[in-house]
Amino acid sequence: MALKKRYAFVIDPARCIDCRACMVACRAEWNTPAGQTRIWVHSDGPRGQFPNLSQTFVPAQCHHCEDPWCVSACPTGATFKRDSDGLVLIDEEACIGCGLCVNACPYQARFRNLETGKADKCSACFHRVEAGEMPACVATCIGGARLFGDLNDPNSTVSQAIAGRAVYRPINDQVNTRPMTLYLSPPDASAVQVSPSPRQPVPAETFWHTVALPVVKAAIALAFGGQALAFIFQLFKGENEYEEA
Amino acid sequence: MEEITREQWLLNRRQFMKGAVLAGTGAALAKLGIFDLGPAQAQAGPEHFLSGPTADYEVRTLCEMCVWRCGVIAKVRGGKIEKLDGNPEHPHSLGNLCARGQSGLMMTYDPDRVLYPLMRVGERGSGRFRRATWEEALDFTAEQMLRIKNTYGPEAMIFSSTHNLSQPLFENLLNAYGSPNYGTQRSLCFNAMVTAHLLTLGIQEPARRYDGMNYIILTGRNLMEGISTSETRQLMERIAQGAHVVVLDPRFTKTAAKAAEWLPIRPGTDLAFHLALIQVIIDENLYDRAFVERYTVGFDELAEAVRGYTPRWAAPITEIPEATIYRIAHEFAEAAPYAFAHPNWRTSNFINSFQTERAIAVLNALIGLCPEQGDCIFADESTVSLGGPPQPPYPRVTAMRLDGVPWKYPLVPLKLGVFQEIRDAVLTGQPYQARGWFFSRQNPIMSLPDMARTIEAFKKLEFIVSVDIILNDSSWYADVILPEATYLERYDPLHAVGSRVFIRQPVVEPLGEARSALWIYRELGRRLGLEDYFQYLDEEDYIRQQLAPFGVPLEQIKQVGYFDAPVPERSGERTWNTPSGKVEIASETLRKAGFPAVPVWEEPPRPPEGRFYLLTGKVGQHTQFATQNNAYLQEVDYHTQDLWLHPTAAAQRGINNGDLVRVTSDAGAVEVKVWLTEGIRPDCVYLAPGFGHASRGLKKAYNRGVNASRVHVTFTDPVSGGQALTQTFVTVERA
Amino acid sequence: MSREKLTLEEREALRQQTLVKHYTANILTHWFNAAMWLLLLPTGLGILLGKVYPFVPEAWNNLMNQIFGGLAPLIYWHSIIGQVWFFVLIFNVFFGFRKYFIPFAATRMFMDKDDWKWLMIRPFQMFGLKKDKELPPQDAYNGGQKLYSYLVIFGTVVIGVTGLIMTYSESIPTSLQWIIQWAMPLHFLAAGLTFAGVIIHVYMGAIMPEERQAFFSMFNGKVNGLYAYLHHRKWYERKMAEKAAWEDHYNRQLAQSQPPADAEPAPQGGD
Repeated sequence: MALKKRYAFVIDPARCIDCRACMVACRAEWNTPAGQTRIWVHSDGPRGQFPNLSQTFVPAQCHHCEDPWCVSACPTGATFKRDSDGLVLIDEEACIGCGLCVNACPYQARFRNLETGKADKCSACFHRVEAGEMPACVATCIGGARLFGDLNDPNSTVSQAIAGRAVYRPINDQVNTRPMTLYLSPPDASAVQVSPSPRQPVPAETFWHTVALPVVKAAIALAFGGQALAFIFQLFKGENEYEEA
Repeated sequence: MEEITREQWLLNRRQFMKGAVLAGTGAALAKLGIFDLGPAQAQAGPEHFLSGPTADYEVRTLCEMCVWRCGVIAKVRGGKIEKLDGNPEHPHSLGNLCARGQSGLMMTYDPDRVLYPLMRVGERGSGRFRRATWEEALDFTAEQMLRIKNTYGPEAMIFSSTHNLSQPLFENLLNAYGSPNYGTQRSLCFNAMVTAHLLTLGIQEPARRYDGMNYIILTGRNLMEGISTSETRQLMERIAQGAHVVVLDPRFTKTAAKAAEWLPIRPGTDLAFHLALIQVIIDENLYDRAFVERYTVGFDELAEAVRGYTPRWAAPITEIPEATIYRIAHEFAEAAPYAFAHPNWRTSNFINSFQTERAIAVLNALIGLCPEQGDCIFADESTVSLGGPPQPPYPRVTAMRLDGVPWKYPLVPLKLGVFQEIRDAVLTGQPYQARGWFFSRQNPIMSLPDMARTIEAFKKLEFIVSVDIILNDSSWYADVILPEATYLERYDPLHAVGSRVFIRQPVVEPLGEARSALWIYRELGRRLGLEDYFQYLDEEDYIRQQLAPFGVPLEQIKQVGYFDAPVPERSGERTWNTPSGKVEIASETLRKAGFPAVPVWEEPPRPPEGRFYLLTGKVGQHTQFATQNNAYLQEVDYHTQDLWLHPTAAAQRGINNGDLVRVTSDAGAVEVKVWLTEGIRPDCVYLAPGFGHASRGLKKAYNRGVNASRVHVTFTDPVSGGQALTQTFVTVERA
Repeated sequence: MSREKLTLEEREALRQQTLVKHYTANILTHWFNAAMWLLLLPTGLGILLGKVYPFVPEAWNNLMNQIFGGLAPLIYWHSIIGQVWFFVLIFNVFFGFRKYFIPFAATRMFMDKDDWKWLMIRPFQMFGLKKDKELPPQDAYNGGQKLYSYLVIFGTVVIGVTGLIMTYSESIPTSLQWIIQWAMPLHFLAAGLTFAGVIIHVYMGAIMPEERQAFFSMFNGKVNGLYAYLHHRKWYERKMAEKAAWEDHYNRQLAQSQPPADAEPAPQGGD
């Protein structure tokens, strides 16, 4: 059996020029509705004081986490982590567009597609990857800031890129979903936009877990247990064929 | 190797967690806890079967979202263009496309496209047109053009177009028609660069080489936003490899953000900076003596002329510290031959821009343009000579040119012209009155400075015809609009990059009745009685004739997208295409025309008290005035349309971030939202060009942002004819 | 059971009587409902992820996924079956509204004092408690059955409506996304509670020997007089009164004239 793949994005903010070609490539590849996007280039205004300034551009997208909160939140299983390569994907046909995953993602990497009404996010252009190409954003990246590949393959561009270098995962005290995006430099001030923040579950979700689930469990346990007891009692009591109507 | 545990990852380092330095690859990675696939992470159960977008077929063609012409692989499904990818076999794309290139299909599918010939029915500028047949539109156009020719002479018809592959055929049309009045984008863009490099090196567009370059000076060249895909990529690659890039720009551009050094030079004083570098390099013997002696003329005259241009002299002018200039001169010369000062592109900034470009060309020559071993820092221009239809001689033109070349601007190459002068000649009627204007894929109303004057000129004409794809601002004022197919729908003449010849070919059938320029010009030529100048049956026939000398069948180049022409052997001593055959540090041509033979300081005007320099520049998501209606690009051009203003200057005027401000120049005023940023000199404001379209035919771009050409004032560089765009001084106050 | 003991003869005589408890339409609807539940419940449970909702073992998800060839087809078929189920029920109610539903609701669903009393006693008796307590007479349905009918009707509506919301969630704008979000737990809650009722219903209907007559009546629609007398005394007496009234009426018509050969029987009312 072939070794499982372990896809990851490796992003070098130092190489990003904020040209946003990746965002258009993604839009063209997936026909994302106007006003929505699967990927981002975060930037902070120039920091510092004239003339000593610096500015960072940090590309981001779904991190295809190893511990994806969206997958845990999905009530249908439409969002899943693919066993063979670790990509977090959405089976649109199984998605009912409830948005619990959108709310669960601490990176705000997900949105509900305005046209399809389904959850949407970066899919790492799995169809291109399967055909041996790079995801659209990576393929078109002029600065070489976006890389993608298999960490289990020592010859892949990503393995080569991180060799001997410090890598940074966008995690913090509250959130560690083990994201599979490795940044090659600390995105410092832009971290505000790249750093995860957990969100409160929606009321319906809370209701589900704190009310619906215990109530249903109790009702079924009661009904089933009651009838089982009654049945046992019945067995003791036995039947009287003449009593019967 | 020390093993790094996952716990170490979890140690908080504020926002981000710093990882371990990964000393090995592959196997080593697997050992690291952080890279272990945790237990039961993957969802068990049957795999979901997903399928992504697929393509029916692919076509290799050339991009036309800007003039860099990247190679494109277009994927088509169900007769519709699905996706464009960069062609890795094209040296201009190297497999990448920029945002504009990626958005190309939305130009074809723009709902605002002109799909049928249109003829004006309302007042000029009312935007009321009716659909016409090609026959009718072409007949009417030819009739009007012949009427003007017969009544006023062919010179009464102005022609203008912009950089595209069919431009030679447009020029063929106007030359055959006999008009000397031809306006292009060149004087609004690179006249200074081209003129200076032609006079110095005999090369009009020095092609930059980046391999191994360690020291690069960019004088306003904003490659990270004025993107030329391969060059931008090569520059980024050099930066990543540690090359020292110096950016001279009054504005903190994205290029500045990537560069090692940003020098917010005072606008218009780049010349002083470069003269000071030349002075230090000569004074301290840092130049390449062998190259200078063998390949240049006029070094001694230069040495004499620059004696006074010390860093100390330049410092107060440029507002760059003396020590910095001195240091850069040393570092630059020492990095040679792995160093160059970028010749730049759009250099229409100040009336001294020509001298600035001359100084840059001379600076590169001094440090040894071509080392003994290895390549010159500038590549040779393409030498491929394509075939083509028979070309009869053009009629002799006796009329003066309206743009003043050469009678007013003796040194401006005939090819470049001075576009803004043509517009003014229409208004003044001097030296004679123009009657008609034919523009092709061009938008003078947006691109020329002082929009109000351009519209006035348009209203004065008897006949205006345009070839356009969408209903641009200038076409809005036309009498006839001939719809051209987009670059994904048509053939264009072949394009050579080095020795590799590329084809632009249709990916899908044109929408509506849009036609290629090759077809439109030929049909018009026939109706004007100029059929001898258009001896081809159709687009494919034209390309076959271009291919004829190489014996390459059309089908082959259509399939592969290109062919490699034989490379001519270079032989003998290197020569330069100048009168002396050498690099002309001192130019006799300039001297004869009454200009200084070597670069000398020319003081540019400074804004009067209370006014700002109005800077223009590039937005990485748009090309000039052509792409603002593109739906995909509108999604990514956020944060590009505000007026940049330094907080100090804003505080003096009581302006807050996000306020609406009025920007007033001698040409006009606009109201625009302000963005306060440390990234601009306090004496400058910046407004991106191309926004604020005036044509209601561009539904998405109409009135989106503001149009800088409403405030740009017309000034012309007397040597190169370039429009000095940054010489517009404005006041800024709360609206 | 009533206070007065029946004699053996009376019992036998009652046994010979046959009363129509269910019309064919109701029987068909009942078994259609049951069959759909048999399909919908396992598939529905298969959609809920074992990991997220520990209600269902993950193995069940996998089994269902494998049977249907994946999660998407499983969801697809669940919603198709669900729509068939819901629309057939709506169709039945709609077209049988006057003839079946109104009489059913009017005579078989209202709870009276006796029903509440019955509810206070009968459940305990199933475990041998409150043996000495006398059960009040019941109508066609006892208090438990009446309550269950509310549960089923309410559950069906909630399940159906929330199911439709989830099936056609695409057309719900994101600003109204809370509708989809609430549809899920409500669907789950309604199905869960109804299923809890179904457990009792199945036990009482199919397993308990005392209700054997009720079980068979779900096939042929009939119960014998003894069962009706013992378990549904009020209904039995009403049916007998109705029958007597009808017979009286018929006899009077017969007396006035020769009875027509194709006389239409009067509606039996109540059922």
